[in-house]
Amino acid sequence: MKAWLTFSPKIVSNSIISNLIKNYDIDFNILRADITPEGGKMLIEISGTQQKQAAEFMEKEGIHLNPINKVVKKDEEKCIDCGACISLCPVKAINTTEDWTVEVDDLKCVGCNFCTKSCPTRAIWVTE
Amino acid sequence: MKTVEEINERIKDGDAVVVTAAEMTALVKENGAKKAAEEVDVVTTGTFGAMCSSGAFLNFGHSDPPIKMSRTYLNGVEAYSGLASVDAYLGATQPNRKPDIGLEYGGSHVIEDLINGKEIELHAEAYGTDCYPLTVIKTQITLENLNQAVMLNPRNCYQNYASATNSTDETLYTYMGTLLPNMGNVSYSSAGELSPLLNDPYFQTMGTGTRIFLCGAQGYIIGEGTQFATEVERKNGVPITTAGTLMLKGNMKEMDAEYVRGATMPKYGPTLYVGAGIPIPILNQEIAQRTAISDEEIVCQIVDYGVPRRNRPIVKETNYHELKTGAIELNGMEVPTSPLSSQKKALEIALKLKEWIDKGEFYLTSPVEKLPSKGYTVKPLEIQKPRTLVKDLKGETLILAHPNDAINEVAKKMVQNNINHLPVVDDNNKLLGIVTSWDVANAVARDKNNLTDVMTKKVIIAREEEPVDVIARRIDKNKISGLPIIDKKNQVKGMVTAEDISRLMGGD
Ligand code: SF4
Ligand code: SF4
Repeated sequence: MKAWLTFSPKIVSNSIISNLIKNYDIDFNILRADITPEGGKMLIEISGTQQKQAAEFMEKEGIHLNPINKVVKKDEEKCIDCGACISLCPVKAINTTEDWTVEVDDLKCVGCNFCTKSCPTRAIWVTE
Repeated sequence: MKTVEEINERIKDGDAVVVTAAEMTALVKENGAKKAAEEVDVVTTGTFGAMCSSGAFLNFGHSDPPIKMSRTYLNGVEAYSGLASVDAYLGATQPNRKPDIGLEYGGSHVIEDLINGKEIELHAEAYGTDCYPLTVIKTQITLENLNQAVMLNPRNCYQNYASATNSTDETLYTYMGTLLPNMGNVSYSSAGELSPLLNDPYFQTMGTGTRIFLCGAQGYIIGEGTQFATEVERKNGVPITTAGTLMLKGNMKEMDAEYVRGATMPKYGPTLYVGAGIPIPILNQEIAQRTAISDEEIVCQIVDYGVPRRNRPIVKETNYHELKTGAIELNGMEVPTSPLSSQKKALEIALKLKEWIDKGEFYLTSPVEKLPSKGYTVKPLEIQKPRTLVKDLKGETLILAHPNDAINEVAKKMVQNNINHLPVVDDNNKLLGIVTSWDVANAVARDKNNLTDVMTKKVIIAREEEPVDVIARRIDKNKISGLPIIDKKNQVKGMVTAEDISRLMGGD
């Protein structure tokens, strides 16, 4: 599961995340973080068996959870493997293979639309 | 050592040894240039990149009654028809005349659709003459029923091209793709060691009449491209910046859309992805050695597109090996890179050309005249009228606000001086923010008294040394009506407003 977490400054100093990892069977991966004295926003990826429980725990602790269920799709006919999209992806979901074929990993994608807006052949888009 | 005729004999007999430029690099490294020159007959190159300076000559044939087309539109994209009566030149970067389509479907897309055999709407207008009475035509055309459809690209296959990054704090949309703020990415456009003109950097084998792979057809080099240059800095024999270019020609009726594609660079406009491959006959050891150039040996500069001037500052010198790893270090940060031209297709093209030669479907030509190898530089276009810099703008008396000023005082100042913006400065005249009449009205409405609470702190500024045209674009892009002028010491010198600029431009 991928989700945006938003939380208030009070929570920033708490060690919710470390408790989370200690107490639940999950893997926790921070993809992006933007934390200021006014609070924070964090993009995370959780895997493991207790995702649901972990999400409930966070909500209880005052972290607002906003799951992302967008996936990126690429039209292989239209795509010319130019690679323009690669360096725009904030989570490195777009990569090239050995022979320079451009591939997107929809599990990693967070639906930011950076790539879709910049593709010269409009070959890539995000759907729910 | 060898001649083109001898190589063609071997192609005919099916004995020619053909390798791609990437294979040649490995071969020479292993066995040396002497042995490679003896063994290899042809090295094939390839590139598949956005080449804006491309287009097509189309001949529609005569209608009955006939027309002398003076304005021609293909699927809403204007083609230049100031040549005879039913000829037109369709440029790849021409946007659509329908504003709702605009940059999304332009000349390059029409070219792709034609090659794909699609029907295209032709709309032509004319003033009518005794011999050409018709004044308007609306009909459908296809590639098949055109008399000629000749792709003619004035400037393709740049020998080398700087990569781009962006130091400003806003995203830039350029012909080098989307450039993220604060040097968030780097985009490069050359195919590196596979690229045609990097494999024959002194043009020892190519020139007018060289037969090539062009968009899946057999086309020709018809001469040096526009902006062709030879007098440039070189390393390892190859230019480190833009240098040679090619003018190319090919029959669109024989092309394959697999190797040519209409595209739009976001907020920049249409461009054509052109696939080109050039065979290099290995006539002697020196030519063999040149084709062995590797990505590591080809230097490429990274320039800052954040500075919209002709000479953009160079941020770093790198090479294609490093760029192709996918990340590069800039000012201590790891920055992702994007190729922009398809490395995959470049290799496919080099392999396709090799296949053609192997099968005896493609023969080499000796150029009628080689491309010039010295004496060419690119002249800039000097704008006759001296450029107006921000500091040349006639300054009005400088009116400023300070953080402790009362809102009603600020409002009074604005009304008295008939202005809409007021820079807020500290005691040393350093900029802290800006207030607009809108901010002030807002403050009054919400009963706010503190100027620092209502002013905008992230201010878009104009520097004294910047040309006014650049500021005009900035005003337009940010949809603002004025910005403070800042000197080298970061002190506020005045305000420049949209009205100032339009007055200045209108005065031309
Ligand atoms: S930018 Fe578009 S065409 Fe280029 S590799 Fe990405 S999806 Fe493909
Ligand atoms: S939308 Fe595109 S750029 Fe954004 S995360 Fe998904 S793949 Fe990456």
